[in-house]
Amino acid sequence: MLGSLPLVSIPVEDEALRPAVRTFLEQTLGDRPRHVLARSWVGFDGDFSRALAAKGWVGLTFPTDYGGGGRSAFARFVLAEELLNAGAPVYAHWIADRQSGPLILKYGTEAQKNFYIPKICKGEAFFCIGMSEPAAGSDLASVRTRATKTETGWLLNGQKIWTSGAKYSQYMVALVRTSGEPEDRNKGLSQIIIDMSLPGIDVRPIKDMSGDSHFNEVFFDDVELGEDALVGTEGGGWNQVTSELAFERSGPERIYSSILLLDGWLDYLKSQDHVSEASIILIGKFAAHLAVLRAMSLAITDQLTKGESPANEAALVKDLGTEIEQAIPTLIADALAAIPDAVVPDDLMKTLAYVTQMSPTFSLRGGTREILRGIIARGLGLR
Amino acid sequence: MTDDLLGQSFERLLQEHCTPAHVRDIENGGPADALWTAVEQSGFLDALIPEEKGGAGLALRDVFPLAVLCGRYAVPVPVAETILARAIYVAASQEVPVGPVTNWDQVPFETVDIRRSTGAAIAAALLVGAMERAFEITVAFANDRTQFGRPIGKFQAVQQQISVMAEQTFAAKMAAEMGFASDDWLPDPLLAAVAKARSSEAAVLVSANAHAVHGAIGATEEYDLQLFTRRIHAGRTAFGAESYWNRIIGEAVLASGPEGVLDNIRYKLSA
Repeated sequence: MLGSLPLVSIPVEDEALRPAVRTFLEQTLGDRPRHVLARSWVGFDGDFSRALAAKGWVGLTFPTDYGGGGRSAFARFVLAEELLNAGAPVYAHWIADRQSGPLILKYGTEAQKNFYIPKICKGEAFFCIGMSEPAAGSDLASVRTRATKTETGWLLNGQKIWTSGAKYSQYMVALVRTSGEPEDRNKGLSQIIIDMSLPGIDVRPIKDMSGDSHFNEVFFDDVELGEDALVGTEGGGWNQVTSELAFERSGPERIYSSILLLDGWLDYLKSQDHVSEASIILIGKFAAHLAVLRAMSLAITDQLTKGESPANEAALVKDLGTEIEQAIPTLIADALAAIPDAVVPDDLMKTLAYVTQMSPTFSLRGGTREILRGIIARGLGLR
Repeated sequence: MTDDLLGQSFERLLQEHCTPAHVRDIENGGPADALWTAVEQSGFLDALIPEEKGGAGLALRDVFPLAVLCGRYAVPVPVAETILARAIYVAASQEVPVGPVTNWDQVPFETVDIRRSTGAAIAAALLVGAMERAFEITVAFANDRTQFGRPIGKFQAVQQQISVMAEQTFAAKMAAEMGFASDDWLPDPLLAAVAKARSSEAAVLVSANAHAVHGAIGATEEYDLQLFTRRIHAGRTAFGAESYWNRIIGEAVLASGPEGVLDNIRYKLSA
């Protein structure tokens, strides 16, 4: 049944991180146009990620023993919020910071932690995630890519698709079959770490409708991996991935995908002599939705720091978040075109075009809306 | 923890004196005396009155669970409103009227705006309680009702509708909680605006999906859903619907200097 989340505020010591991050971002991002910044999540900039790492802001929550910042989830919330709000090109280190690093820390061996985590924190190891395959989208348990045991480790064959950032990442964490057949569903799946520089790996970019190429197809042809490629338990991949996805659904990432557009539109309205009542109401609607989502996201962060696992709430916040992220470009387009002769700044129109074109993916990545809603309904009492 | 104890004891009272049968009876012109007397004798009505004036000295945030319960039990007398109004009468050094406060316009608020935003915060909490019940009734129905040889909750289309109800109710509850996040008895006006704007918007979807899942039985007098969906629609427009409050928020955001939306939220729209 539905519970409720208590209101929480960011602890003072974590909020104190914000000004330094903001100053760094102002200096680093300079005057990049909004439509470029709007790529944020899928903006790949290795130099930026390394500069951020030099400040100690990659792996902020990882233990100091492995080169991390040892800070709380609230500190990461502040950092992530500022990065996304500014449209920083975070993709290079983002997956390692939010998914792969925590996965290795949770399930990895001591040797794996010592090898990967310091590299992640220095911005030397960028990760991508190999989940989807041509025949395994929402039905993730039907993956066919297979790692077969050899005398020295694993032999990898198969194909992944829709792998963001694969072209530029040093490593991939892939969900593969290590035993059984696709019909065995979630049994016999494992997670492995793949060094993307190994022979037998072919990465082919897929151009998206906005002209970018952050998606890739990745082919594995007799790729030889060491024994230590396995992360966590052999055959335990499904449970590991499920908990990773639950983690993926929390945090501020699912609120701010359209924030550059929203702020651009707000600036435009502020520059106008007259703002229509419809636009004033719309600004209020967006702000109200985002204020509530932010409060919910903070409450979930609080639960996670207390060792709880609010999986239903996280799924629900993600779905609500992507809904408003998608409503922002649609409704702003209507508000702008309500005055057909208005002269709208070029950068705002380009930002609108980009966000409009990419917004369908907001409710695909990390689990589609339809899958997510099924999880929510069952989690809340449907038998 | 006080919250929980307070809520539990209030809920026991409602379970005894405010069943759906009581609600129907009172709505049909029957006497509300028994319910009102029980509430009055419980002392809950003086929750927000300072201790030195003979009340419990609680803050608005402490009585949020009580207001939501009034919505959950479709309480047909103005309990939440009277709790608030009594604190206002005392703060204005006026005599607290006997019985339920039925005329909000006579409550001595300092300004019209404060009167409206306080009413909006209460309406939001009542709305949330009604939405929670509509959601629970709908989940139970979807598990029980069988069509095509299985419970209708097994169908993905129905699961989607129920998830939307859950999401909207959950967001509305967070918003209403923000509206009540005050250490005295008055809500912050902009947080009350968020509470009412967001819960009013949620109301439409929650009611529509509850009825869609139920089919015709949901629209009958004898089935309890109507006790809540009628209140959901009335609550949505009480003290201003979403457009009114979104405009208030929008004006505040537009009046800011160079700040973007995030900073507006951090400074003005956070509890």
